Amino acid sequence: MTEKEAEEAPRIGVYVCHCGLNIAGTVNCEAVARFAATLPNVAISKDDRYTCSDQGQELIKNDIKEHNLNRVVVASCSPRLHESTFRKACEDAGLNKYLFEMANIREQCSWVHIHDKEAATEKAKDLVRAAVAKVALLEPAIETEVPITRNALVIGGGVAGIQSALDLADTGYKVYLVEKEPSIGGRMAQIDKTFPTMDCSICILAPKMSDVGHHPNIVLLANSEVQEVKGYIGNFKAKVLKKPRYVTDECSACNDCTEVCPVTVPNEFDIGLATRRAIYTPFAQAVPSTYIIDRGICLNKEGIMACDKCIQACERKAIDFDMEPEPLELEVGTIIVATGAEVYDPSSLTNYGYTRYQNVITSLEFERLINAGGPSGGNLIRPSDRKIPESVAFIQCVGSRSERGNPYCSNVCCMNTIKDSLLIKEHWPDVEIHVFYVDIRAFGKGFEDLYTRAKEEGVIFTRGLPAEIVEDRKTHNLWLIGENTLQKELYKINVGMTILSIGIQPCHDSDTIQRLCTLSRTLDGFFMEAHPKLRPVDAPTGGIFLAGCAESPKDIKDSVTQASAAAARAGILMAQGKVSVEAITPKTIPENCQLCGLCARVCPYNAIAVDKERKLVEVAEAACAGCGTCGAECQFEALHMRHFTDAQIMSQIDALVEEAPDEKIIAFCCNWCAYAGADFAGVSRMQYPPNVRIIRTMCSGRVSPKFVEHALSRGVGAVLVAGCHPGDCHYINANIQTRKRVEKLWKKMDRLGVDKNRLQLLWASAAEGEKVASKAKEMQATLKKLTPEEVEKGKQAFAGS
Amino acid sequence: MASGGSDSMKIALIPKEIREKTKSCFECGICTASCPMAELLQPHYNPRILLQKTLTEPEKTLNEDTLWLCAWCYKCYERCPQGLKPPEIFQLLKNEAVKRGFLEGFERAVSKIADVPLSVISLYTCFHPERANISVEKVAEALQKAAIIEEQIPGKAEANQRKKIAIVGSGPAGLTAACELAKAGYPVTVFEALPQPGGMLGKSMPAYRLPRKALESEIQLLEDLGVNMRVNQKVGKDVSFEQLWRNGYKAVFVATGAHKSRRVGIEGEDTKGVVDALEFLWKINMKEKITLGRKVGIIGGGNVAVDAARTALEYGAREATILYRRSREEMPANPWEVNEAEEDGVKLEFLVAPSKIMVKDGKTTGLECIRMELGELDETGRRTPIPVEGSEFSVELDTVIVAIGEEPETSFLPREIELDRGRVAVNPITMETSMKGVFAGGDVVTGSATVIEAVLAGIRAASSINQYLTKLKLEGGAY
Repeated sequence: MTEKEAEEAPRIGVYVCHCGLNIAGTVNCEAVARFAATLPNVAISKDDRYTCSDQGQELIKNDIKEHNLNRVVVASCSPRLHESTFRKACEDAGLNKYLFEMANIREQCSWVHIHDKEAATEKAKDLVRAAVAKVALLEPAIETEVPITRNALVIGGGVAGIQSALDLADTGYKVYLVEKEPSIGGRMAQIDKTFPTMDCSICILAPKMSDVGHHPNIVLLANSEVQEVKGYIGNFKAKVLKKPRYVTDECSACNDCTEVCPVTVPNEFDIGLATRRAIYTPFAQAVPSTYIIDRGICLNKEGIMACDKCIQACERKAIDFDMEPEPLELEVGTIIVATGAEVYDPSSLTNYGYTRYQNVITSLEFERLINAGGPSGGNLIRPSDRKIPESVAFIQCVGSRSERGNPYCSNVCCMNTIKDSLLIKEHWPDVEIHVFYVDIRAFGKGFEDLYTRAKEEGVIFTRGLPAEIVEDRKTHNLWLIGENTLQKELYKINVGMTILSIGIQPCHDSDTIQRLCTLSRTLDGFFMEAHPKLRPVDAPTGGIFLAGCAESPKDIKDSVTQASAAAARAGILMAQGKVSVEAITPKTIPENCQLCGLCARVCPYNAIAVDKERKLVEVAEAACAGCGTCGAECQFEALHMRHFTDAQIMSQIDALVEEAPDEKIIAFCCNWCAYAGADFAGVSRMQYPPNVRIIRTMCSGRVSPKFVEHALSRGVGAVLVAGCHPGDCHYINANIQTRKRVEKLWKKMDRLGVDKNRLQLLWASAAEGEKVASKAKEMQATLKKLTPEEVEKGKQAFAGS
Repeated sequence: MASGGSDSMKIALIPKEIREKTKSCFECGICTASCPMAELLQPHYNPRILLQKTLTEPEKTLNEDTLWLCAWCYKCYERCPQGLKPPEIFQLLKNEAVKRGFLEGFERAVSKIADVPLSVISLYTCFHPERANISVEKVAEALQKAAIIEEQIPGKAEANQRKKIAIVGSGPAGLTAACELAKAGYPVTVFEALPQPGGMLGKSMPAYRLPRKALESEIQLLEDLGVNMRVNQKVGKDVSFEQLWRNGYKAVFVATGAHKSRRVGIEGEDTKGVVDALEFLWKINMKEKITLGRKVGIIGGGNVAVDAARTALEYGAREATILYRRSREEMPANPWEVNEAEEDGVKLEFLVAPSKIMVKDGKTTGLECIRMELGELDETGRRTPIPVEGSEFSVELDTVIVAIGEEPETSFLPREIELDRGRVAVNPITMETSMKGVFAGGDVVTGSATVIEAVLAGIRAASSINQYLTKLKLEGGAY
């Protein structure tokens, strides 16, 4: 049937939905339907109370059969809401789902022009006209399917990575778990107890670590780094470098070697509060338990053997200084990114004196101090004199919720402090404990109970952060000077030790992982999910999932929950064994292609390869996300951007400017942010001038300069290009191209004497309906000043575009 | 809404951008706890609450006396987690109050400022009513009258009259302590190395910032209180430190300030035409003859650099350019003083560091510089300037004024007094040094700071010295 559809002249059915009074209250739907009937290729046009209802869908299905329709337009709400509903209805009636188009006459018309029924009706007609024009040019498409390799790669061996790896391995998939440190365990291994249950952290983690070490389906690659990731969903190729430990698996972890090793350095695991040798194991429960030699500090440098004490001491002959780095190539179908986070370094907050005063420590250092396996054997001693302090203070929000540190709340610090205060009270009930806070966020299950318990135990909570810590030089006690903002009084409190409750921030090398896995990051620097509500563990790149603090600061429970969710999402893909790709990817037109490679250069997914020898440009369909920025870049019309072709978009422009072009604003909006923002303006009933006509593209990067030029040549009043904020692009960074193209156009307009205010660029997120509305108002104001001569000048300047 | 139109009014009072940013305040109290005025006027002045009021009830703040009690030290901004600038937000409302003729709040504020020691000096150097178009001279007159009346009230405790106190240094910290202790009945002697009292106030503060008369009248008031002012007496030279004890002084307050200019450490620094900013300002204040070139460059970004630049223009330089190695944001000088300097015609060059003085025939001909860019935050919480390779350039200059900061001179102090990074180490609460009976405060402890901070240090020290001499236990423990 599809071939028949393509060959036949279009027979379009148009359905104008009343949506109760949501649309019909403002737009004269009957008039719009009558108007639609007059448009070319329209075979049938109806208006209906609720098109999305079962009856409404039945009507479409029957008409397709009865009237032999081969195209369908529904004028109703946003395609973001019901496109899939109507596509399904078309499919049920035997019509290819890519032959359907929607006109958004609710969110972007009736709801935003409530007080101007006439103009709203005229706009609805325009939008239907554009949809009819586009649908006539739509082509049927079959979604391709790609097979999925049933192996997974988990990057990061903290608790999130461990949980994901175990879940996937238990499901039956082979898992490669890559950890850059010598042992898995991550931050959780450093922490003493967990809140709110006060479980011993390592006691509950160690069995899981051990399971990873022994699981037949898990290949544990500790002391290893991912160096390259190529490929796409279901078919990734990852290069991993397994760095030498210089100790073989023969190692029995007997510790004889460390006793003789002459080199001592501060121990990273204990944050420098204790020491380790050049040959060492990071901590007692390390997995793998095999020791490691730190060649950076070992006396035996490359090719020089200066010391053989460990070799002599090792009964099992497990030491091998000739070990080489081992490059591995892994083929995996899915990737879970669980690279964790770092803690904030408070040394730039000079008023707190961290590093200058011995008795000011961070919360992570405190965890090692209070831990029985830590450098003080679990004794709460302060660094200056190794005595138990009579009083301690915790300072909250250090480096969090602040312009000087990170703007976000780090999520775990409040509960961590409450837990720590109780730990102290448990062992040393006489120690006076002050907690200085601005808000205590005890929002989780069992959290409020723990907070109450801490207060009952006598922990003193004071609202108001110290402005300054000053040290008493003789006693090394600390004066905390601040304002109790509830009592409105200044305080000067003397304590023996202060713990800075530091926040969590993205890993310093997360840009490497971002580049390797083509991920996006939020403004905070954490990895961005595909959808904050409905796809919270999917990365925007297909086949890649996020778990743990790499996505945002979270506690252990949330990390484990997310890790299991990520494993389940990856498992679903691998269980299906194949994946279909939305048919909005480009098709190359080899006869037009000049092999210039510009398309490949702008592709955020590296999905386009130029093969100069074979004179071919190849699009890896599974890797392509369909943003269309390649299509906009191509100067030779060699890329056919399916479902958003040049011809289709041009036809929309033509339809929209058929009447009174100089009074209109054509707005190209990206699907994810600006279009969603315009929808949000509708939902919020923000009113703006009715002369805005929105054309949806997947990404603002699809907006080719020729679209803008064409619109100007047709005498349109103004053009708006709107996309996601830089850094928030749903196609990684395709909107960088948008900015470049608009800037180029501005220059060109300047050169040709066309007022460049007639082209505007807007970054608006899905939540910024207000921005869309006010931009529309602003542009309307400039439009009013536009003279016919200027319009004509624009027409002339871009004639023939 | 109950108060119809109030929202548009709020927007009119404070620009939307600033209002939006101010909303990020989560009331941690750091501003108030950092504010010298909040401590001085405790509990009557609280910048945190005032800042919140500017958001919730901006109309009401126009009548608040607290609006006028900010002393522009920017301590709040230095530490505010959200980087808010309360002094500038308050200024917007002050302007509005004056515009609408709401001056009651200001008048009440003046009566509170009158309670601050050295109120006239503080008025000129810290409160700046002139920024809201209020005549500072008139307010100064009123304050002077109030001060005279107050000092006539006798309140001298007899028991204190036999315990002599030596104050070393007559800057704002020393004068404040002298004033407070004299009021408490102690015989106070102030030792000043220079021929006139006032310390940095008289030495390097240009007369346009503090009229000589204001300083002289404050000192007269102190002398009327019975303070013995001994100029040209450098402790450590004219009088030894040990001699103070021998002469019967029971307590010593070291408030010698920070007068040692830092050196840039570049080639040619000792050439004729390279001058130290403090010395330059001192000579001007002493009406000594100075020779300035036509083109003057000032190295540094603090208030002294700005003062030097403005003074250079006033005294005949054609061009005065401040060369600072970071950007405007990081300048330690008060932002409004920088703006005023620009209005005077001072040029500013940011992200520039000097690398060599260019010399011809023993005279300064210019400065070789290198461009900088800002890197990570350093231990002062500011972004570190990093030289941009290959960006060297030179500027023609006849005079180079060096104003990159001052450090205390401590060589006269006995060894028992411990130092911390070149400054006198004190118990931060009591201002006591490691030597019994010796207290210290002001720039000699903190490094260069504002007048109001020195005043606060003087008050703290006076209170501790009083406690110490009346054999009370010092609150906050011994050193």
